[in-house]
Amino acid sequence: MKTERSATASHAEKESGEPHQTRPRDLLQNADLLELLDQLYLARYFDVRLIKEKRRGRLRGTLYSSHNQEAILVGTLFGLRPDDWISPVHRDMPAFFLKDIRAGWDNPSRMGMSIGEVCAQVWGKATAPGRARDNWSHIGDSSKGIICSTSMLAGTIPVAAGIAYDFKLRNQDSVVLTYNGEGSTAQGVFHEAINFAAIHKLPVITIVENNQWAYGTPVELECPTKDVADRAKGYDIPGLIADGQDVLDVYDNTMWAVERARAGKGPSIIECKTFRAYGHGDHDDDRAAKYRPEDEVGEGRRRDPLAVFKQELVKRGVLSQDDASKYSPEFKNAAETTDEDFPARVVEYMKQGVEFAISSPLPDASEGTMWVFAEENR
Amino acid sequence: MTASATQSQPVNMLTAIRQAIDEEMERNPEMVCIGEDIGLLGGAFGATEGLQDEYGSMRVLDAPISEAGIVGAAIGLAMRGRPVMVEMQFIDFISCGFDQIVNNAATMFYRTGGKVNLPMVIRGPSGGYGGGGPYHSQQNEAWFLHSPGLKVVCPSTPSDAYGLMKAAIRDPNPVIFYEVKELYRKREIEEIIPEGHTVPLGKASVRREGSDCTIITYGNPVYFCLEAAERLASENVQAEVIDLRSLLPLDEEAVIGSIKKTNRVLVVNEASRTCGFAGELIARVCETAFEHLDAPPMRVTREDTPVPWVKPLELSVLPTTDKIYDAALRLVRY
Ligand SMILES: Cc1ncc(C[n+]2csc(CCOP(=O)(O)OP(=O)(O)O)c2C)c(N)n1
Ligand SMILES: [Mg+2]
Repeated sequence: MKTERSATASHAEKESGEPHQTRPRDLLQNADLLELLDQLYLARYFDVRLIKEKRRGRLRGTLYSSHNQEAILVGTLFGLRPDDWISPVHRDMPAFFLKDIRAGWDNPSRMGMSIGEVCAQVWGKATAPGRARDNWSHIGDSSKGIICSTSMLAGTIPVAAGIAYDFKLRNQDSVVLTYNGEGSTAQGVFHEAINFAAIHKLPVITIVENNQWAYGTPVELECPTKDVADRAKGYDIPGLIADGQDVLDVYDNTMWAVERARAGKGPSIIECKTFRAYGHGDHDDDRAAKYRPEDEVGEGRRRDPLAVFKQELVKRGVLSQDDASKYSPEFKNAAETTDEDFPARVVEYMKQGVEFAISSPLPDASEGTMWVFAEENR
Repeated sequence: MTASATQSQPVNMLTAIRQAIDEEMERNPEMVCIGEDIGLLGGAFGATEGLQDEYGSMRVLDAPISEAGIVGAAIGLAMRGRPVMVEMQFIDFISCGFDQIVNNAATMFYRTGGKVNLPMVIRGPSGGYGGGGPYHSQQNEAWFLHSPGLKVVCPSTPSDAYGLMKAAIRDPNPVIFYEVKELYRKREIEEIIPEGHTVPLGKASVRREGSDCTIITYGNPVYFCLEAAERLASENVQAEVIDLRSLLPLDEEAVIGSIKKTNRVLVVNEASRTCGFAGELIARVCETAFEHLDAPPMRVTREDTPVPWVKPLELSVLPTTDKIYDAALRLVRY
């Protein structure tokens, strides 16, 4: 996999006049690094658990696995402030609870959804943020800085730009991160929104998760440039390329773009190179095996983000080799993993969410016709 | 606010609209206007003339030609609690922002379980009779009436436009606001607007009383219906003309009340016929007032064609006074 920075990425260095001396990652403490690792485990475990639940036929809706793409979610969210906003899409389910999770996994006042809320959404319960009126990733919470997206790919980027415009009007240095697959960058509204954000130097950072496939279509048939990040050139904004398997590289690039946006210098696109572990959704696993070459899949999954990060931690002496191999879900398909592959903290946290979801009631049928219009004088 | 002319001398519809937006911008410093050419230029028709000078280029924002981007940004601003006025340069171009309106804005309150409402107005010049051709003559309200979560209004007088604009901007929901551009500068309908005037959404206005048939309409055809009613009076037919002003919410009480009195109904609008608002209205009348009808409900609408450019073609497909007069006679003689 390519991990070099693109021509536009050196834009970053040109602007500051010198190559980066201290990288954002260098300021992370050992405790931060271990927290990052736990968050990677958590994102993986959430997905694995849902894949299993889905196969048991307990859940409705489609699961778009984020397996193998966790470093992007964890790395982009780790350095955000509580007042920042995000708009995750279909493959980003863990983002809803990873937002501001550094404020404490069980902290009820943190600016992200609780694991219970996210599980309630997956189980379609009345306790879900939107009371289960739309499925899976289509949830939001304005009080926590999470935009409720529609199904229409790239359709939330202009909304993010509007929120960023509000920040500008208020002289508030918060930022908005929008998540999209590489295929979605072919949508007209992607251009309209980024064009608008670039004109007004709005603090919008578009995270492009380039997992090489948009459903059954390879990236070459979605985007004519070598790197999707090159789309940034048309807007004279930075188009950064991060190694989506390396949580620290994702973190560095994000923090660079975030600081730039906070300083009023405008939007960036960050292309995170990654690989889709399974089919497009859980309904597509068998067909994906036919349209996607076997060796491509093997190669893509060789650099499991958990393995990449653990190796780095061992190299730095933050983690002993023994501790690194204590839990090892990496390189395993969901079905091959057990709870023993994950730290107890992670398993417990998810358990709490699932129990909340299962014990929550379904929405009452009478709610079906409610909330079409807001009352006057709300 | 620029010196108000509305309360001392008669104003046209365009001035009334501009004035209403201006006053709302002053009343609520959080409010933002966004659209193509609305700032420096003051809008293609001048509906936002002078507003950028008054409120600055941050609050009166010249947007790039990106209807989806504009509506999406307005959703973001409205999510943050700001009332937003979006101008479509012509309402025809609203199709380019369609997804953001029907899938995003319209459903937001519903999808968030009643938590996130969007105080936004999308307004723009609409309607035919001006030689605009297929893309500058549309009256495409049916698209939005068919998308639950949107309110839709279409006033026909300066004071209604003024009052509804204020109510629409203050409404917590997305409102699509049709401004009949042929009425923007129409001299004959200029009027003085009383101070503090507002018109609630969902209230029809009886423009002429009558006992022989009810003509329900809105927008430009209101005037053709009134003309037809004059002519019908010389035939001893007294037509009641109701201007709906607001299509959703709909003043069903006014409609049904009138039909109970006249027992005959004709619906006139300038949108195309199939699956149009006239058909919906007639269905409702049949459902709730069937026993009061002495004749089948009738409608005069645009033919099921695009709006053609040159005058004879245009008038051949749009409702005219003659067509309305003929239909009303058929109705009362049924
Ligand atoms: C406007 C729109 N068109 C089509 C779809 C159907 N669809 C859902 S996901 C998807 C592929 C998305 O690919 P990509 O953006 O690369 O994201 P990924 O699934 O790879 O994470 C498609 C075509 C959609 N949701 N929205
Ligand atoms: Mg993809």
